[in-house]
Amino acid sequence: MSTTMPTSRQRSLRTWAFWAVPVLLLLTPLATNAYTQFIVNGMLISILVTLGFTLVIGNLGQLAFANTAFFGIGAYASAILSAKLGLPWIMTIPLAGALGALGGFLASSAALRGIRSYYLAIITLAFGELMRWAYLHTKPLTGGTDGLPLPRETMFGISLSDDTLKFYIFLAVTAVLVKATLNLLRSRFGRAVMAVRENEVATASLAIPTARVILTTFIWSGFLVGCAGALFARHVGHVFPESFGMLHLIASFAMVLVGGLGSVLGAVLGAVVLTALPEYLRAFPGMEELFFGLIVAAVLVAMPMGLASLLRRLSPIFVERYYREES
Amino acid sequence: MSELLQVNGLSVRFSGLTALDDVTFTLEEGAVRAVIGPNGAGKSTLFNAISGYVTPTSGTVHLKGQELTKLTPHEIAEQGVRRTFQNGGLFPALTVLENVLTGLHAQIEGSFLDILLGRSKALKSEAENIHRARELLKLMSMDHMADTRAGDLSGGQQRIVEIVRTVASDPPVLLLDEPAVGLSPVARAQMMEIIHRLAGEKGVGILLIEHAVELVMAAADRILVMAAGARIAEGTPDEIREDRAVLEAYLGHS
Repeated sequence: MSTTMPTSRQRSLRTWAFWAVPVLLLLTPLATNAYTQFIVNGMLISILVTLGFTLVIGNLGQLAFANTAFFGIGAYASAILSAKLGLPWIMTIPLAGALGALGGFLASSAALRGIRSYYLAIITLAFGELMRWAYLHTKPLTGGTDGLPLPRETMFGISLSDDTLKFYIFLAVTAVLVKATLNLLRSRFGRAVMAVRENEVATASLAIPTARVILTTFIWSGFLVGCAGALFARHVGHVFPESFGMLHLIASFAMVLVGGLGSVLGAVLGAVVLTALPEYLRAFPGMEELFFGLIVAAVLVAMPMGLASLLRRLSPIFVERYYREES
Repeated sequence: MSELLQVNGLSVRFSGLTALDDVTFTLEEGAVRAVIGPNGAGKSTLFNAISGYVTPTSGTVHLKGQELTKLTPHEIAEQGVRRTFQNGGLFPALTVLENVLTGLHAQIEGSFLDILLGRSKALKSEAENIHRARELLKLMSMDHMADTRAGDLSGGQQRIVEIVRTVASDPPVLLLDEPAVGLSPVARAQMMEIIHRLAGEKGVGILLIEHAVELVMAAADRILVMAAGARIAEGTPDEIREDRAVLEAYLGHS
């Protein structure tokens, strides 16, 4: 597989295009109805969830499935801080991110104790289920099975139940976090993450502290997904334990794979396509799950490297690199 | 010539098995010392013990008088003892340039936060090191391959890129684990030239495990012969050629 490299003109085009996408998206509320707006808001959340997931299983190559746990931690943190402590919701986003990062730290401690591959998979799955159990059994804090509603709140004089306002906030958070993640990946840090995946023993021989790389990747993944949890809490307005179960984990995993494992572009594509797809399939009542499964399977058979590989074949501006020539 | 690496009474025992038995030697600036011996002689264990992948049971390793024995592999690499791997240590999914850049990891400045926020301090150091990596590839006539996936290179090219990556940070000591294995005669000659250049021009002290006898005889100033974990002979290539203990280790008692 030979790849051509983007020229400097294509690189500046890429930088330009990166910011053009969210700027153009600013116009979506003009072109959509309330229903579509709600779906698009969900996509923005899924982008962060998928990005956090693909960093750990794709780029770092660790079979850790605590992603939904980070998501739930972020969502409950946001809901509890808003509802119980009366914090403005917008301020709960970084705090939810920080608690998600703490979840990432806990998950990485398993990997750093030498628990890897299938063993790491099962222990992180257990972590997710344990969190769900915790939401159910700490009723005074989380509302148990009744869930926890977020309080009514206004920002700039607009109610936070307004999907257009939420859209602009979600878009800003997502664009900034995706850009920050790209900064990380296109640096010595991103190369170290990939190096650990490819050959951990050789990575250490290059004066790269592998344990710190693993720890930091999990923490950043937890932060992204924790922030996404806070957005989700406001998106649905009421958090329930069942939102953070196996089904969410499998859906996120499908987004990672359909988009392309270990690819930022893939995370975005996977999240967008697999959030939109079920909406279109609603036209086939009773058959939507079947069609959904078939489409996911077909994409993976036709493109094992995901939708991102399709775009890479179209133009070198979509080739993801782990260094940054321009300064 | 000043002493770089001092290995003193290094032993490694794995539950009863002595993999490395009281090995002592020094490596000087610009010297090429080969380590030879039959399979199971302890050559790889010696490399692993020096580079921190195996904890020695006893003995010490010093670099320019500073003790390395208790350090982890990445700390030893940062001190300036770098190694290659017998079965190839490149990262196949990364490009040639990215692979060389991983060798410069500790040289690139900027904290995690600097990188995250895309601060100019981190970007400037990144750009400088990309320039340096490209220059190093040019020296080996590999610059046209900079954007090729390392996994797509031929075996010989992979060995060369691995060496470029390993020496990118200008380490004083280099451990090469069978750098010529599986190489064509042409690639072997190129490898030999690289080893000569690193030792002769840059003064790198090189410790070399190699089975290719002609490469060992031509490249090494001194040869350390090992069998069953212990040093059985030590000397110049000519001395080793004549040594009875060496013949016995390889061919058995006569």
